[in-house]
Parts: sequence; structure tokens; C-alpha cells
Amino acid sequence: MARWGMVIDLKRCIGCFSCVITCKQDHFLPPGMFWNRLLMKETGEYPRVTKQLYPVLCNHCREVPCVHACPSGATSKREDGIVVIDADKCVGCTYCVIACPYQQRTFYEDNKGGYFPGQGLTALETLGRKLYPLTRGTAVKCNFCVEKIEAGLRDGLKPGLDRRATPGCVNNCPAKARIFGDLDDPESRISLIIRQRKGFPLHPEFGTDPAVYYIN
Amino acid sequence: MKPYEWMAECTPQTLWIEKKGLLVWLAEVSGALGGGLYLVSLYFNNPGGLLYGWLIIALGKTSFHFAHLGQPLRFWRLILKPNRSWLARGVIFMALFLLCGAGQLLLSHLRPGSTGELLLKVLTGVLAFLVMGYAGFMMNYVRGIPLWSSGLLPLLFVCGGLAGGLALMLLIGLSGQDVQAKTILAGLRWLLCINTLLITTYLWSAAYASPTAEQSVKELTQGRAAFWLWLGVFVCGLIIPLGISLYDAVAGVTPPAMLALAAAGVLAGVFSLNYCLLKGACYGPLLPQAP
Repeated sequence: MARWGMVIDLKRCIGCFSCVITCKQDHFLPPGMFWNRLLMKETGEYPRVTKQLYPVLCNHCREVPCVHACPSGATSKREDGIVVIDADKCVGCTYCVIACPYQQRTFYEDNKGGYFPGQGLTALETLGRKLYPLTRGTAVKCNFCVEKIEAGLRDGLKPGLDRRATPGCVNNCPAKARIFGDLDDPESRISLIIRQRKGFPLHPEFGTDPAVYYIN
Repeated sequence: MKPYEWMAECTPQTLWIEKKGLLVWLAEVSGALGGGLYLVSLYFNNPGGLLYGWLIIALGKTSFHFAHLGQPLRFWRLILKPNRSWLARGVIFMALFLLCGAGQLLLSHLRPGSTGELLLKVLTGVLAFLVMGYAGFMMNYVRGIPLWSSGLLPLLFVCGGLAGGLALMLLIGLSGQDVQAKTILAGLRWLLCINTLLITTYLWSAAYASPTAEQSVKELTQGRAAFWLWLGVFVCGLIIPLGISLYDAVAGVTPPAMLALAAAGVLAGVFSLNYCLLKGACYGPLLPQAP
């Protein structure tokens, strides 16, 4: 069985926010909610200034603190390594949101507010609520566009190679900074890149063994 | 804060202490106070205290937890994964405490002194202890918040709860019931000394644990939670009641008003300590340190 993962090339990332916007569009995320984020920090003083750009998303960890925190079994880890939340089982206790050391979960409270306060929802937002409904009072997070992966696999496509089976943030990165694939396949492109360019996860000291790696 | 600044530096935990999150704070405090009062009442064999302790958890803690849930009608799902979740374990401890406590209170009315009542007292006492302490383990599990990654945390909850229980017992005595005020004050004296040592050690060890934990300690001692720590925890919760209990030991007699002040101070201390633990918690920055 595959274990889906991602590599983000920090040398290629130009900080354009395409991944952030694509994710918001694909999942019709309401205002203030991000499943993909781009973190920026400037360190040092002129003329020696370093700008750090780190795109972050759910790490789909192998050792999953959020699954261990969830008292209801709503959060689970699939065989392919993707961590998903069953909104019908989530109690909204927020323990998983607190327990995620990477803070990649959001507690969804409001399903009324749109992008234009006081003017109701636009036609696109209304459509989005129907196509990708989020349940109020539950935890939500990035799911590696699991529906695209599943549909693609059903059609005989390969996630990471075929666009229709690959997460939106990977497809729409103009700098091709994101690579998606099977971490368990030693010959896959993602595994080779991690080996050759010494890929590293964020904060390995948490002991969660993330499926999102970075190369620099 | 701009979206890209989020988690770039130490980020305070707000979900469990701001807005609806205040209910988590109240639930933790009522769990500690209810469990503490129940245990103290068992020791002093005070039926009134047993009932009040049970009621604090039945009406207070349970309601606060229920009100905090995003999907309250699915509350029963909270107990489904006790093998891995401390929250599920805690809810089970609470449910069993309420069941056994109700049985014990009923038997103490119908068949006082029976073997069944004695057994239920022991069982409910153990469960009260677990209800007091589980929040410490639950918070301790969160790896992203170094302030909570201390083995002292469950102890802080238990000792704070016991001190709060003694304070409530003192108030019950002041309201007219027959309680041993001298013994309570002596117990409180020891417990407050232990609490002072525990809190100081906890803060001291956190200050040297990691840069994020150090930042949390700064928040507690000089930042957003400093008022609660210095005035609530140290002055109201430790110094005033400790002074009054020492005065009682020296003078022999303490006016009821001073006893009430000591009890109120301890309770304010328990509320403040829990508030500080939640308010001072920070997540470490996600960005690795720049070379």
C-alpha cells in the first residue's frame, strides 16, 4: 500500500501564495480558514538579511497526535497514510486542534459568514457550500485532496504524475516547488528526491514522522 | 496578525482560554474543586461536603464541557476511544464518578454504614482523584506546548484541587455545619507550602526547558497572565491563606471573617492557577531557526 507524501522545494518556492489560494478555491474555504499556509519571516539586519518562506499544510504524520487525542474516533489514519476527519463523528471538543503540534487544524464555528460581510453569500460561495459542505462545530483540515486521489486511482491514474489525481496545491504551483508521490516506493520520484537532496521534515523532535518533507 | 505571520514566532494558545474556550477553564476548575471537596469530605466524613462535591461535578463540570462542545448532541461519542485519548478517559472517570457518587449518596441516606456504602465511598474516592488529575495528563500530552510538557502538571491539578476542597470545607463549616476548622487549617497550611514549592519548581524548570517554554514563563511572570499569577496565585492563593493559617497556629483562635478570607483566597488561587496554565501556553515557531 502506498503512503502518500509531499516534498516542497524551498529553493524553488517564490512565495506567490498560489498554493494557499488554490486550496481555498478547491475546497471553498470560508474567510479566515487556511488548509495551506505560507509562513514568512525575515531575520538578520541589512545587508545580511535572510527571508524564510515555508509553505505548510497538514503533515499527515505517521505517529499522529491528533488521532490519539480524538476521543470519538472521528479522526483516523487511512491505510495510505492520509489523516482524515469524519465530520459526522466529530464532537467538536477541539482537543485535536490543541494537540496538533503544527497547528494545522481549524475549528469551524460559523457557516454563515461570507467574504462580503452584510451582503450575503455570492453565487460561487453558495455553490461551494453545496459542493464541499463543512459541518459547523467540527474540526477541519487539509486532506491531501483525497477525493481527487481516489477518483484518479479508480480511473487508473497515478497520483503525483497525473494532474487529475494530484492535490491542487501541487498542480497549481507555478514554480513546480511541490512534488507529490508514494513515500513507500523507493523508486518513486519523491523518494529519490528526499534521498538525494536530504529532505527533512518540520520539527522532527515532535516524533510524529510527517509525510511532508522540505528540501533546500 | 497577518496570515503569513501565524506561527512564525511563538504563538499563544487561545482556543481553550478565549471566548468559548473559557468554558474549558471553568470545567477544569470545577473538576478540581468538586473532586477535591469530595475527597476532603470523605476524610472528614462530612455528608454535606460529599453532596456539594458531587453537585459541583454533576452540574458545573458536566455543563461546562457540554456547552463547550461544537456538536453537543453527539456527547456520547466522547467515550469511544479510551484506549488512546486522555479526554475520553477523563469523561469516563467523570461518568463513573457521577454514577458511583449517586449510589454512595443514596446508600448513605438509606443504609448508612453498610458495606455497600463503604465500598462505594472507596471507589468514588478513587474516581474523584482521577477526575481531579486527568486534565493534567490531557494537557501534558500536547507536544506542541512545552509549558504543559511537565510531569508536575497532574500534581499541580491534584494539589490545587485538594487545597480548594479544604477551602470549600472551611466555608461549609462557616455556614453552620460542624467541621473541624483547626484540622482543616493545619492541612491547608501543609498543602499551601507544598503548592508553593510545586508552582515555583514548575515555573523554574519550564524556564530552562526550551525557548518556547521560557517565553511562556515570561508571559506568566511579566506578560498577559502576570496579573493573575502574582495577585491571584501568589498573593490571594498562597500568601494570604498561609498567613491566616499561621496566625491561627500561633494565636489559637481565628475570627470567622479571617477564615472566610483564607478560604476565598485559596479558591481565587485555584481559579487563577488554572487560568495561568491555559493563558500562558504558547506553541513554538514552526519556522526553523535561520542559519
